[in-house]
Amino acid sequence: MREYVTDDIIYALATPWAQSALAVIRVSGEGCKALLATRFSRPKSLKEAGNATLVHGYLQDEAGKKIDEVVAAVYTEGHGYTLEEALEFSCHGSLAVIKEILSLFSQLGMRSAEGGEFTFRAFLHGRLDLTQAEAVQELVVSQSERSRALALGRLEGSLKERISSLKQQLMQIMAAVEVQLDYAEDELDEFVFPRTQLVDLIAQLHHLSETYQVGKLYKSGARIVLAGSTNAGKSSLFNLLLKQERSIVSPINGTTRDYIEADLSIEGIPIRLYDTAGLRESSDSVEREGIKRTERLIGQADLVVFLVDSTLMGHVPEEDERTLVVYNKSDLAKPPKGKLAISAQSGEGVDRLLHEISTRLTSGFSVSADELLIIESERQYQLLNASEEALGRALALVDEDIPLDITAVELGEALDNLGQLTGEVTPSDILETIFSGFCVGK
Amino acid sequence: MDYDAIVVGGGHAGIEASLALSRIGFKTLLITQNLDAIGRLSCNPAIGGLSKGNIVREVDALGGEMAHLIDHSMIQYRILNRRRGPAVQAPRAQADKFTYARLAKETLESEHNLSLFMDTVVDFLLDPTGKRLTGVITERQHTISANVVVLTTGTFMEGKIFIGEYDAPNGRLDEPSAIGLGTNLRKKGFPVGRLKTGTPARVRKSSLDFDKMEVQDGEELMMPFSFDYDSINRPQVPCYITWTNEKTHAIIRDNIHRSPLYGGKIVGTGPRYCPSIEDKVVRFPDRNRHQIFVEPEGIGTEEMYLNGISSSLPEDVQWDFVHSIEGLEHAQIMRPAYAVEYDFINPQALYPSLESKLVENLFIAGQTNGTSGYEEAACQGLMAGINAAQKLKGEPPLVLSRNEAYTGVLIDDLVTMGTKEPYRMFTSRAEYRLNLRHDSCDQRLTEKGFRVGLQSEESLSRLRQKLEKMETVKDLLRQRKLADKSAIQALKMPEVTMASLQESIPELSGFEEPIKYQVELDVKYEGYINRQERQINRFEKLESLHISQDFDYDALDGLSTEGKEKLKLVRPISVGQASRISGVRNSDIALLIVHLDRGGHRER
Repeated sequence: MREYVTDDIIYALATPWAQSALAVIRVSGEGCKALLATRFSRPKSLKEAGNATLVHGYLQDEAGKKIDEVVAAVYTEGHGYTLEEALEFSCHGSLAVIKEILSLFSQLGMRSAEGGEFTFRAFLHGRLDLTQAEAVQELVVSQSERSRALALGRLEGSLKERISSLKQQLMQIMAAVEVQLDYAEDELDEFVFPRTQLVDLIAQLHHLSETYQVGKLYKSGARIVLAGSTNAGKSSLFNLLLKQERSIVSPINGTTRDYIEADLSIEGIPIRLYDTAGLRESSDSVEREGIKRTERLIGQADLVVFLVDSTLMGHVPEEDERTLVVYNKSDLAKPPKGKLAISAQSGEGVDRLLHEISTRLTSGFSVSADELLIIESERQYQLLNASEEALGRALALVDEDIPLDITAVELGEALDNLGQLTGEVTPSDILETIFSGFCVGK
Repeated sequence: MDYDAIVVGGGHAGIEASLALSRIGFKTLLITQNLDAIGRLSCNPAIGGLSKGNIVREVDALGGEMAHLIDHSMIQYRILNRRRGPAVQAPRAQADKFTYARLAKETLESEHNLSLFMDTVVDFLLDPTGKRLTGVITERQHTISANVVVLTTGTFMEGKIFIGEYDAPNGRLDEPSAIGLGTNLRKKGFPVGRLKTGTPARVRKSSLDFDKMEVQDGEELMMPFSFDYDSINRPQVPCYITWTNEKTHAIIRDNIHRSPLYGGKIVGTGPRYCPSIEDKVVRFPDRNRHQIFVEPEGIGTEEMYLNGISSSLPEDVQWDFVHSIEGLEHAQIMRPAYAVEYDFINPQALYPSLESKLVENLFIAGQTNGTSGYEEAACQGLMAGINAAQKLKGEPPLVLSRNEAYTGVLIDDLVTMGTKEPYRMFTSRAEYRLNLRHDSCDQRLTEKGFRVGLQSEESLSRLRQKLEKMETVKDLLRQRKLADKSAIQALKMPEVTMASLQESIPELSGFEEPIKYQVELDVKYEGYINRQERQINRFEKLESLHISQDFDYDALDGLSTEGKEKLKLVRPISVGQASRISGVRNSDIALLIVHLDRGGHRER
């Protein structure tokens, strides 16, 4: 936060720095309309434009030379994304044009925005709460369609709602405990700790924080290494998956000396795929180095797809959660029954392979990948985890019959962590819950 | 100037304020409507309780009087919530009302710097600017000048009592309220509102059937509230417990329309934590009984207090429902239950020193600030007295933090958030409850009391001795081995207590109980206290980001409209305080931090 200020005008290119049909450049800050009107073909229209209106015209340089034909979307203060006076220019997406416009803005004394600064301003002006602000960040950097859908879901406040519900449940438990601490024993009914509710709440928190792992998968993706003995068809499969000739394919053993990598998407999960040197004893020092690298990659992979040449069989590794054994060349030889078989030549079985890969990557999560509510940010994950852990300690204290004042500390810590996700819970909120649910007072 | 200071009101706030001012050395006048009513326990005959007992001991550690008064008037002593854990345990004592009030008046009379005068204050004198107070005007047309005034009106400012269809301009039953002051404060622009509270009937002891009730005895050993001495020895009497029943509830339900609360006669908001019996019956229809504590009002009286059934129903209804209760079938009602409605001043109009933002040199304390309870009143009276004295000396106010005293929590809550109902202290209002134990109040506050001139050198040296003894005990525990670990490590285990250690370490019996108790808690709770310390460090970061009183919120771009409004109203002294104002958003706080980080309160 330290480097951010909010009392100047910032601008940034909102679309990728690439050639395209259209590009959008955003400007935010008090006085931006008047300032940009001095470089606009219809200054009066821009200056006087109301909120949520479009103004068509030309951006022009100091001498009045036209730079580009643009449409400006106008937001007055209190509206738009940042809640500041703001403009969004849709211009033509040629890099030359974009460059010229950005330099014009800079000459006008506006400042190029820091990463995330628009969102920061939106947050500062109360447009977004913390979970929503993070979702916006993630929206910007999301690498896949799936991730974008998740971020959008969260922006609607579904995470906020879920956490609010968890918070409500925790407040009920806390109120039950706090009322015991705030009133004398003889003023209250016999106390039984709401253990079932606490156990249930811990399970819900666990479920939610587990979605982090799934979320991370869709956001940051996975590394998959194609391994196997030489000439098992790794490079053919690699090319097939990428739908282009990247690896050199030849019938000669050991053609791929070093690894090759490429990005693709499997059922929405961003994948970095590595084609590697085949594993065999080799006297060639270059090939030996390649094999060493392959072994290193295998160590780091999220999933190793081990290709077996069905015509030769040979060494077949044990299947485990990180190793998927696939029998290639099913068109030439019959693979063992019930095993995953493909033909990298004909493409037979490849769809099944892709599905199996996606299943493997998402396995172990009790969370279905269709569930829209998935957390992605490290901060959210840590807070949920901390909350879950504190509740776990509270449960242990209850089971050991430790006095309630200590249990209350753990419950308070759990609530504090949840509060940091969506907004604090104050002591008066707890008292409110007590007064509305318990008959207290002499 | 006639006096350095004037204190208006002789209740629990007024007592502490006038004693603090006069003991620090200022010529002080206490004006009360009735000299015979000084230090009255208007409602329940008890001092202390959860968090309130802590407040009494805080007042004592700072050099206040309440602990001495109850220590010498108690007729039963109990430690509440022993099973719930030490952080929330607290002492509570039944008081002999007459002894308590008599001691209070005697204590005031023994101060040579303090004058007492019976009259009713009806207005203030202001200097020509209208922004500075210079004295008071009384009902009998005395004008008395002073440099500072502490206002503690309790339930008397425009007070009005209700018993069914009957109402009267009283602050307590048959004691006339102070008429005129509330109106004049409204005229001067003070944010005055109405609150309501109530008290149950008093019944005659000899008319009760105690065989049908449960007996509730006190602890065998009485412990003093005050840190000034180690033991007290007074006779104890029991309390009794009985219950309402379906018949009681039916009588109340059938007559609920005759309650001024439900008929709309009372506009003030009552306390939800201490509802009247008609409230309980209406709000919790599923409950078939409610508990009643029958408490003696004193040794020399037959009056017994029916704790749990305050009411504003008409007397014939009270008569019927009281007689429907087991053990009270033949109860002679000596005083009826009644509700009282009174003026209070929104405490957001005060600085954390309890000085008014509207009129300089005016300090306000107690029920006038919207609180309820003798202890809550006393701690405010003490702080108002101390800070009025600081003002007279030209020194900065003493503001207690939320992590050192319930008193700090209370005042911060009041001036930051205001209150919509009579404010009572609860342990859950404090974020750092483990630090606010009653047994360690002296460690947190005695030195502060000394620095403002209220605590004696002796108290300070007694505290030092206590700390030394605690260290000696800890050393002893560190040195001794029990099986494979040191005694101090063994003590961390739930099943090991100081008492059980004493068997193998006989030297421990040479130390006083309070010393051993505190060491035991320190050791057992060490891990949690350390964790709380870390939270406190984070908390103090925001508390230490000061905002000057003339900060221009209008010039700070980007504040939410509501946030700006609230910040201008409260004028917080720190970002920490600002963050606790309801209606101020996280984003407003972020903006304040960013702004203050960028060079204090400079404008852009």
